Amino acid sequence: MKVRFNNVSFAYDEESVVLKNFNLTINDGEMVAILGHNGSGKSTIAKIMMGLLEVEKGEIYLNDKVLNMDTIEECRNHMSIIFQNPDNQFVGVTVKDDIAFGLENKQLPREEILNRIQKYLRLVSMEDFIDHAPEELSGGQKQRVAIAGALAMESELMIFDESTSMLDPKGTKEVNEMIKKIKNENNKTIIVITHNLEEASYADRIVVLNSGEVVTDGTPKEVFKKIEVLEASGLKTMESVSIIHNLKNKEYKNKKEIEEALWELTFNE
Amino acid sequence: MNNIALGQYVDGKSIIHKLDPRTKLLSLMLLMIAVFLIPKPLNNSFGRTASFIMLGGFAVIILMIVLFTKISLIKYLNSLKQLAFLFIFTFIIQLLTPQGDNKLLLDLNLNLSIVGILIIIAWIVLFILLRKFIPLKLFVFLGLTCLSIYLLTYDLGFSFGSFKLKLYEDGLYNGSFFFTRIFLVIMLSTVLTLTTKPTDLTSAIEWYLHPLTYLKINVSIFAMIISLALRFIPTLFNETQKILKAQSSRGVDFKEGTLKEQISQIISLLIPMLVISFKRAADLADAMEARGYIPGAPRTKLNIMKFGLSDLFSFIITLIIFATIIIIKVI
Ligand SMILES: Nc1ncnc2c1ncn2[C@@H]1O[C@H](COP(=O)(O)OP(=O)(O)O)[C@@H](O)[C@H]1O
Ligand SMILES: [Mg+2]
Repeated sequence: MKVRFNNVSFAYDEESVVLKNFNLTINDGEMVAILGHNGSGKSTIAKIMMGLLEVEKGEIYLNDKVLNMDTIEECRNHMSIIFQNPDNQFVGVTVKDDIAFGLENKQLPREEILNRIQKYLRLVSMEDFIDHAPEELSGGQKQRVAIAGALAMESELMIFDESTSMLDPKGTKEVNEMIKKIKNENNKTIIVITHNLEEASYADRIVVLNSGEVVTDGTPKEVFKKIEVLEASGLKTMESVSIIHNLKNKEYKNKKEIEEALWELTFNE
Repeated sequence: MNNIALGQYVDGKSIIHKLDPRTKLLSLMLLMIAVFLIPKPLNNSFGRTASFIMLGGFAVIILMIVLFTKISLIKYLNSLKQLAFLFIFTFIIQLLTPQGDNKLLLDLNLNLSIVGILIIIAWIVLFILLRKFIPLKLFVFLGLTCLSIYLLTYDLGFSFGSFKLKLYEDGLYNGSFFFTRIFLVIMLSTVLTLTTKPTDLTSAIEWYLHPLTYLKINVSIFAMIISLALRFIPTLFNETQKILKAQSSRGVDFKEGTLKEQISQIISLLIPMLVISFKRAADLADAMEARGYIPGAPRTKLNIMKFGLSDLFSFIITLIIFATIIIIKVI
C-alpha cells in the first residue's frame, strides 16, 4: 500500500506543534524504518495514519485515496498497528479472544475467525498458548499475539510503533525475527518505528526524523554514513558504524595497525 | 494472582463445566436466593429443627454440586479463607446478643484481676510478635481467647471488679444458621467462578440483558465493559503489587505508622496507579479503535452458547427446589 503525507500539520495543543508541513511518501511493498529520538513525533505520524488523530492541515493519501472521516473505517481494513506497550493493547481475556477481537469487529463468519486464529498463531509459534490469559505470557509472547492479531486482519500495511522497546533482550529478538519473517514471506508494506539503529538497519529504507521533520532519507548504508546528522538528531549510532567512522579519519599502513586501532576503539571509547 | 476471585477458572470436563453458562448463572442465582429464603430459626411457627433440616438439605445439594465439578475442595476452601474472620466475628456477635426467650447458654462471672489481665496482655503481645510464624493463626487466636476467658473466671490476685459474660442459646442457633447460610451462598458463587470462563459468563450476562435493547440501551457496550474489566483487574492487581514492592524497598510500610502516615502512604500508591491507569485507558482506546472497534456496532460472536438436554434437566431441578422453598415460605 502506498502512503503519502502531503503538507500535513498537526499539534496536540497550541504550544507543542509536532508536525509542520510534513511530507513523506512510502511506496507499496517497501519496508521503511522511521528513526528518531523520543518525542520526535514518530508515534504521532503512526496515529495520524491510523486515523486516531485528526490533522489540522494537509492530506494523507492511502493508495491515492484521501483519508478522512468518511473513508477511515474502510482504510482501517487495510492497515494494522502494533503498539509499544504489550499490556495496553491486549484486549481479550485470553489469547484466542484477543486475536478474534479485530475479526469480530470486521464481522467475519465464526468459522473463518477460528481458522485464522489457528493459522496465525502457528505462524508466530504461539499455538500452544491459545487459551492462556495475558498474565501467563511474557512481554515478547504478548507482542507476538499482537502480531498474530494484526496478521489475521490480512491487511496490506503493518506499522510497528516501537513494539520492542518495552521488552527484554529475548523478547526483542523474538519480535524482530517475526518482523523479518513477515518481510520475507509477504509483499506487505511495513513501517518500523524505532529509536534503535540496529532495528532500523533491517529496513529497505530509513527515514530519520527530528522535531517532526525528515532530516535524511535513504538506504541504511546511505543514512548511516551521515553520522553527524544522526548525532545531531540525538541518535546513538551502532558500535560498528562508529568504528568505521573513526577509522576513516586516520591513515593506516597495514593490517596490523588497523587491527590495533580497532581494539583501541572498541575498548577506549 | 491466585488470591483474586475473578481469574479463578479451573479447566475441566465435568458436567457442571459443560453446562450452558446461562443455565449456570440463572440456576446458581436461584439456588442462592433459595438459601436466603430459608426461614430463620427464630420467630417462626415452623420451629428451629425445620430450619436446620432445610439448611442441611441445601448443604447436601450444594455438596453434590461441588463434587460434580470434580475440582479439589481445597480450591473451594481457599475462596472462603479471606472471609473467615468476618464469619467468626458475626458468629460471636450473635452469641453475645440477647434475643428470643433469652435462654442462657453460659453465664460466667469474670474477675478483672490485674494479674489475669497482665497475663492476657502478655499473650497478645507474644501473638503479635510471633504472628508470622504461627500456623492457622485464626484458630490459635480463638483458642487463646477462650483460654483467656477461662483464666478470668479465677481471681488471680489484685482484683478490682468483675463483670458477667452471657452467651445466649438462641444466639448459638442464630449464629450457626447465619454462618452456614453465608457459607453455602459463597460455595455456590465459587462453583460458578471455578467452572465458568469469564468470557462465557460475560456472554451469558449479555444474553440476559438483551431485553434492555428494546429500551434503546446498548447492551453490547456493557458486555464489552465487563469483559475489559475482567481482562484488566489481574493486570491492575499485579501493578499494585509491583508498586507496593517498590515503595517498601524505599522503606514505606503500609501496615505500620500513624493514621496520617498510613494515609500518605496510600496516596503514594494511588497516584502512580491513577497515572498508569489513565495512560492505559488512552492506549487501549487507540488499540481498540485501530482494530476497527466501533462502540455499539454489530460484531461476530465467537462464543456460541448451546442450551442442551442437561441444561433443561438442571434447570428443572433448580426450579423444583426453588418452588419448594417458596411454597414452604408462604405456608
Ligand atoms: N497526547 C498528547 N498530548 C500532548 N502532547 C503530546 C501527546 N502525545 C505526544 N505529545 C507530544 O508530542 C511530541 C511527539 O510525541 P510522539 O509522537 O509520541 O513522539 P515519539 O513517538 O517519537 O516518541 C512530544 O513532544 C510529546 O511530548
Ligand atoms: Mg512513540
